[in-house]
Amino acid sequence: MGLRRWNERVREPATVGRYLDSNGPVDDSPPGATNVSDTRPATAGPVPLIDAEQAPILARAYYPGHGPPSPVTASLAHVPEILELTLPFVGRVLGPTAIDVRTKELVIVRVSALMECRYCVETHTAVALDCGLSREELRALRGEEEIESVFADPGELALLAWVDAIALGRGSVPEEVTTGAREAMGHAELVELTLVAAATLMLNRYCSALRLPTSAATLSRLAEEGLG
Amino acid sequence: MSATADKIAEGQIGGRLWFYANYHCNLRCTYCLTESAPEVSRREFGEDEIVERAREGKALGFTALGVTGGEPFVLDYMPELIATLGSELPTIVLSNATVFNARRLREMEPLADLPVHVQISLDHPDPEDNDEMRGPENFRRVVEAVPKLVERGIGVRIATTLEDPAAADPQEMERLCELHRSMGVPDEDHVVRPIIKRGRAKSNGMGVLAGFEQLDPELTLTADGAFYSPFAPTVRAGQLDTDLLVSRTTTPLREPAETLARIVDGRPPGNDASIGIT
Repeated sequence: MGLRRWNERVREPATVGRYLDSNGPVDDSPPGATNVSDTRPATAGPVPLIDAEQAPILARAYYPGHGPPSPVTASLAHVPEILELTLPFVGRVLGPTAIDVRTKELVIVRVSALMECRYCVETHTAVALDCGLSREELRALRGEEEIESVFADPGELALLAWVDAIALGRGSVPEEVTTGAREAMGHAELVELTLVAAATLMLNRYCSALRLPTSAATLSRLAEEGLG
Repeated sequence: MSATADKIAEGQIGGRLWFYANYHCNLRCTYCLTESAPEVSRREFGEDEIVERAREGKALGFTALGVTGGEPFVLDYMPELIATLGSELPTIVLSNATVFNARRLREMEPLADLPVHVQISLDHPDPEDNDEMRGPENFRRVVEAVPKLVERGIGVRIATTLEDPAAADPQEMERLCELHRSMGVPDEDHVVRPIIKRGRAKSNGMGVLAGFEQLDPELTLTADGAFYSPFAPTVRAGQLDTDLLVSRTTTPLREPAETLARIVDGRPPGNDASIGIT
């Protein structure tokens, strides 16, 4: 797999401390990426993030009672009628369902790394740690180690081949990859995990284009875990 | 009957559909909700767009129309637009009445035959006090313009905006009422309302709080989207307030109307008190 390290590009200087909000791209993310400040600095992105005081009526239900909202929420709040459809969709697809959260995070981190989405990789690396993925597994998903040297489960390897093909390919997924995925997963599982990958792709481009900021707490945690 | 018409009939949503025609103004009042001034971005909603949404609103069950800004009459097409709106539904247009020159007054003459009122701001019976917040020569221009409109048979309302109407000097208020009566505007067409603590008023530490709980829901369309009330699409420090934004979608009108109805349905019981500012 010719995956470039997700963070190979030069990162913006002084990232820690500039970005003070976020508990993940969806409000119901598992614990582990906590907020650290109510003070929101001017974002480096092209749109300001909407704070709780300015949250439109329909968006208020998606703002947490304490601390700032996720930057996905705070940016989507510019268009409340889209927010109120997007956040439940994203929360449902990426959040807990019949498929275990470890498997979902495996897909999310892998796709985000392939798409070089800084915000999604950083945020979901922290979430994935809470979901039981090891540091070695996360390094592999992020392209810092060989997938095959860390993952041994045939089902997970088939899934990773499937999501790699979705994220990197154009047109149909190659037949051999499709065959492997069909052997490893049931129909419902294949549909749902494909949608997890597709929704992640959407979020990757959204978060990257709008340069959404990762929380200082998440960045600090990643540094402590050696995953910064 | 549409769901919106039901809500209007039940009194849950105001029957008047409001438009922000524009945001720029020839004045720079100290309590302006929208930080309007000559140099601000015009952000016009558009003449054709207003007419189309107004007709759509009539079909949905709205019973009246309102146009505000900015100063609507800095737009050349405003008299004709108001005549068009007035032929659809009773219409009120808010104005500072300082741009009514002879040509504009001639253009406004057709409004006399329509259910149209021009609501004009006049805050004090004394020029100095009035002009302190509204700018030089405002008082003189208003007292010149109002009789000219009345003479032409155009409906005029006077709106007085005060920091605290309950604390107003009764003698001063009586002098103000004598003034508007002398210009041909009866008491029933004089409204007194508080300064709303939004926009430039908030920046200047003036006004009473007006949020979701205090304002009556009246669908208000602007170039920036649909809002909860005509007091909602305010501007402070150059930034549009979004706390009372209903949706960015204004077309078809059914969409923001239904969203507003949904918001009203979700409003906590007991939070439907108005502070009587509409």
